[in-house]
Amino acid sequence: MANLLWLQGGACSGNTMSFLNAEEPSACDLVTDFGINILWQPSLGLELGDNVKTILQKCISGEIKLDIFVFEGTVVNAPNGTGEWNRFCGRPMKDWVKELSDAADFVVAIGDCATYGGIPAMAPNPSESVGLQFLKRAKGGSLGAGFKSRSGLPVINIPGCPAHPDWVTQILVAIATGRAGDLTLDEFHRPKTFFSSFTQTGCTRNMHFAYKVSTTAFGQRKGCLFYDLGCRGPMTHSPCNRILWNRHSSKTRAGMPCLGCTEPEFPFFDLNPGTVFKTQTVMGVPKDMPTGVDKVGYIKLTAAAKGMSPKWAEEDIFVV
Amino acid sequence: MDLDALRRKIAERLATGLQTEVWPRAGTGEEVNAIVTRLRVEAGDDLDRKLVIAGFTDHTVVAEDMPQPCETCMYYKVHARFCDLPELMLPVEPHWSCRLWRI
Repeated sequence: MANLLWLQGGACSGNTMSFLNAEEPSACDLVTDFGINILWQPSLGLELGDNVKTILQKCISGEIKLDIFVFEGTVVNAPNGTGEWNRFCGRPMKDWVKELSDAADFVVAIGDCATYGGIPAMAPNPSESVGLQFLKRAKGGSLGAGFKSRSGLPVINIPGCPAHPDWVTQILVAIATGRAGDLTLDEFHRPKTFFSSFTQTGCTRNMHFAYKVSTTAFGQRKGCLFYDLGCRGPMTHSPCNRILWNRHSSKTRAGMPCLGCTEPEFPFFDLNPGTVFKTQTVMGVPKDMPTGVDKVGYIKLTAAAKGMSPKWAEEDIFVV
Repeated sequence: MDLDALRRKIAERLATGLQTEVWPRAGTGEEVNAIVTRLRVEAGDDLDRKLVIAGFTDHTVVAEDMPQPCETCMYYKVHARFCDLPELMLPVEPHWSCRLWRI
């Protein structure tokens, strides 16, 4: 039996909604098949008020063993570092986060806000939001760069806006079943099993990427979304096209450009007008290249690939 | 008018002195957006205004040491010899150029 406590900070509850849609395994499977005891969760917990506070206090004192502490949303520090804008059970949430993280065997940050700050932390960041152990790419965050939970691992980050439900439940199962030692984390503390490949890996538009045929408007089934509509699939680490959403689709498959929400910088360019759904260029060349590709190589590859693109690549081949 | 005839008409307009806004090229995203907005607002279906605002030429323009021919542009459909930018949607030749070129 592994005790799990889930709290929310500066959050929209999107990751809780995502978690409740998990299928492999489902949220119920965690309890019935994998021995996870959910002490409290904002959408599932039955306790209210002082009864919640009692659970938290018992976790901190050790009366209840806290195996897994899950946090969703940013850690809010406003105003002036006090955290008073986000109070919970009679005190700033940031204080609960610190003490519960120190008491837990494992700390898991779910979603872009809890991992890297996400949308609340974009400039000018009025809520003084940070992630648990990062603020964007900078290590530190609320718990500090050197933080390690009792298990010896730093915060395990499962980013996304929201995180895919199966990423969440599969990591929780790995921890609960004693296989946390199999988890290897990248430099941003993301489990490599999910975040080594790219969003583009498995995208049905890859042939259009290869032949440099662009989608020019939303709703088109042909063409690649990277060239004009700002898709970040070639430089975003996620398995969105390997572990599909709702088991059958993904943003890019449905014609929606990847926003790069599993990367620390999300949302890119602070959502300035003209930067969303539009590939940013300098003299016609994309500012952000596919990972590992340089500008000269990109230009050479594009000229060659476009010159040899087959006729079918310019047509909508999905019409029956 | 079929696309070949329209292509010939455009070639003729460019060859006979239609003054287009070749410079400045669209260097930044903001400049691209500004030109595209002008195409929507000022040009509509007017062929000459499209050519002028987009800065069409019947030869390849080189900007910052980079040739910008239609044939390497992302909006260019190789087999149709066609510019697929929604605000333009014009038949072109591979060696032509415009200032909305992007690779």
